Amino acid sequence: MKALIVIAERCIGCRLCEIICSFTHEQVINPKKARLHVVRLHSEPIDVPIFCIQCGLCVNVCPVNALSRNPKTGAIIVNNDKCVKCKRCLQVCPYGAILLDSTTGKPLICDLCNGNPACVNVCPTGALRYVSLEEFSLYRRMMYSRLLIKTHPHA
Amino acid sequence: MTLYGYAGEILRINLSKGRITVHNVTESSLKMYLGGTGLAVRILWDYLKPKVDPLSPENKFIIATGPFTGTLIPGSGSVEFCFKSPLTCIWGETRAGGCFGPKVKFAGYDLIVIEGSSDKPVYIYIHDDTVEIKNASHIWGKTVHEATEILLEETSRDASVACIGPAGERLVRFANVMVDYDRAAGRCGGGAVLGSKKVKAIVIDGDKDIAIARPREFYEAALEAINAVKAQQTRLGRYGTLGGLASLNKTGALPTKNFQTTFFEEAEKISGETLAEKYLIKPRACFACPIGCGRYVWVPWGKYKTPPHEGMEYETVDMLGCQTLVSDLEALIKASYLCNQYGIDTISTGNVIAFAIEAFERGLITEKDTGGLKLEWGNPDVVLSLIEMIARREGIGHLLAEGVKRVSEKIGGKAVDFACHVKGLEVPAHDPRATSKSFAIQYAIGNPRGACHIEPVWPGLWDFSRIDLGLREYGLPWPPLSRFDEEVDKRVQAYRLLILYGELAGILGICRFPMQNRYDNALNLDRIVKLLTSLTGWDIAAKELLLISERVYTLKRTFNVREGITRKDDRLPKRLMEPVKTGPSQGQRVVNLDRMLDKFYEVMGWDRDTGKPTYNKLVKLGLADIAVILWR
Repeated sequence: MKALIVIAERCIGCRLCEIICSFTHEQVINPKKARLHVVRLHSEPIDVPIFCIQCGLCVNVCPVNALSRNPKTGAIIVNNDKCVKCKRCLQVCPYGAILLDSTTGKPLICDLCNGNPACVNVCPTGALRYVSLEEFSLYRRMMYSRLLIKTHPHA
Repeated sequence: MTLYGYAGEILRINLSKGRITVHNVTESSLKMYLGGTGLAVRILWDYLKPKVDPLSPENKFIIATGPFTGTLIPGSGSVEFCFKSPLTCIWGETRAGGCFGPKVKFAGYDLIVIEGSSDKPVYIYIHDDTVEIKNASHIWGKTVHEATEILLEETSRDASVACIGPAGERLVRFANVMVDYDRAAGRCGGGAVLGSKKVKAIVIDGDKDIAIARPREFYEAALEAINAVKAQQTRLGRYGTLGGLASLNKTGALPTKNFQTTFFEEAEKISGETLAEKYLIKPRACFACPIGCGRYVWVPWGKYKTPPHEGMEYETVDMLGCQTLVSDLEALIKASYLCNQYGIDTISTGNVIAFAIEAFERGLITEKDTGGLKLEWGNPDVVLSLIEMIARREGIGHLLAEGVKRVSEKIGGKAVDFACHVKGLEVPAHDPRATSKSFAIQYAIGNPRGACHIEPVWPGLWDFSRIDLGLREYGLPWPPLSRFDEEVDKRVQAYRLLILYGELAGILGICRFPMQNRYDNALNLDRIVKLLTSLTGWDIAAKELLLISERVYTLKRTFNVREGITRKDDRLPKRLMEPVKTGPSQGQRVVNLDRMLDKFYEVMGWDRDTGKPTYNKLVKLGLADIAVILWR
């Protein structure tokens, strides 16, 4: 099993990941139907793709059990037939990583492209990576340590 | 019927009547012109009355996208604005990157035509099928960043904004249109056209799909193109367009001191490497671009403190820096920032400032005209003051805001000799004497909007950069000539192929950088054909694509002919006919201009004496209806 990470300083905000995501899943080009979203702030040097880290909070709150996990990749799978568009998954997602499909009104959640994420393949700067869980864990620790310094500099 | 790769509709907004209509794009017109500038030039030919005042309500402002815009194709975050230029009074087009073009398509339109004019300041908010003309009096007078910020707050944070700055409102003739904060559609004065219509901004958002005819084939072709671009444009990504400055200087091709020479001794101080080392926060890319030539820079402290923004491009640095002999990079960052905030074209601004300094030196304008400001070479504060004065049309700025052609004619006498423009468009930072002799053809005639380096193509690709663009099998002479060689036949033949290829960028809606590639020719003609056929589902061969390109290009010339352009306008400014004064290209000059032009008219099928496209040529290009009108 592997996990998706982003090395945020490397992102140049080209949004190829969004475009290819909508294309591989929906066969059309429409960044609003992507399962990850690049946030760009103009007054700050911020270009960061926000995506699902497969934490599973949404799985727990879904009232109709429309969300489950793919046993091979660990990715969350949406059963569109069961979904009743209650948007609880949107509400619970801590990262704002879930968006609704503008046509069907049902959630778009990263499925890790069944173990071969298209966004990672297209990323021109190597900002998006699909790594082992050990590497993922190490990266999370480093990220969290930096966050601590930033938010609690005197702790 | 689905049109693959296109949105399928044209939005028409008449501000005088407050009328908004939507028209279908027909497949036949798309197959004839493909889209982008192709469709735009046909619309302006059909619906713009000849000889109208560009700043009157009769002028139209067209926002054009092509089939490639907003797709997976590298560099597809492109948008073209087309209008009759207030600077040159002929064909005007100007492009920007960012995300505005793709948003036009996601909102469901291929083209947006803005016509008439409003009494009060307005902005246009387009989101999917809703088009609103809204009051803009609260943002009238605001700078580009201020206005963009307020508009995004008022509409949607997902939206994209194209707006004008205070200079556009004041009808500075080279005012630009700024897209997504810092991306400039710089040339030809599009900002003044919007200003004359009292349109402060266009805000757009959409969530419609772009459908693909043959998804699997398209996916493979697009990935191949992305990987090719990704592998090869690393230098452009690392140092931006400014990365070329130092090496251009070494070869003696860096226009300096109002084109008196092409060598600047202090070039190292303002190179892309210096910028990356000291002021670059990070590179930034437009939509779908793996290169990322955008420079997110700042000056954190000091006299020229400047907040973070995207700026600093080669043209800007040469025109505002080398041309005025300013080598303080911090001051130039500030100058570039101010131009973008006020919404003026950095190329035209730098050109007209350098002209003013030279005129001051020669005593043609004095301190009485400038309000006590001593215009001297190499003084950053002079450049910064003049930028402010031009943008506000204050003092001497009121005169300079008219562009170098009108200024030099007003001053008269010797001033005309060192005013560097063609047909009214200020000459940019590439020199026909030193960079490549193909620029002589490009400036004099090759570019339908006047002296411009990049549209339809950067002609030095062939002999300066020695890139074949995959055009050898279509007759590109190889190996190329030396860049100083004026052997006419080969040069014109090569130039013709280059412009037909380059013209495709505006028609299809992509940036020219992914098309200009050294080793494996990232977006070469064959790849473009593959992408276009799998995207649209139409089988269009490379030869046919070049024919469409020639049709559009010739139609632009025809548009200019109708506006009164003849062979006598196809010339170079006197300054560019004088020998280069210093540096490695010292003594170089353009000798054979007339012979090159003769040959160019001949290969394009244009009349040698008048410069008009011939009747037969127009018929051959499928423009019989236009031939009849032009030659009646």
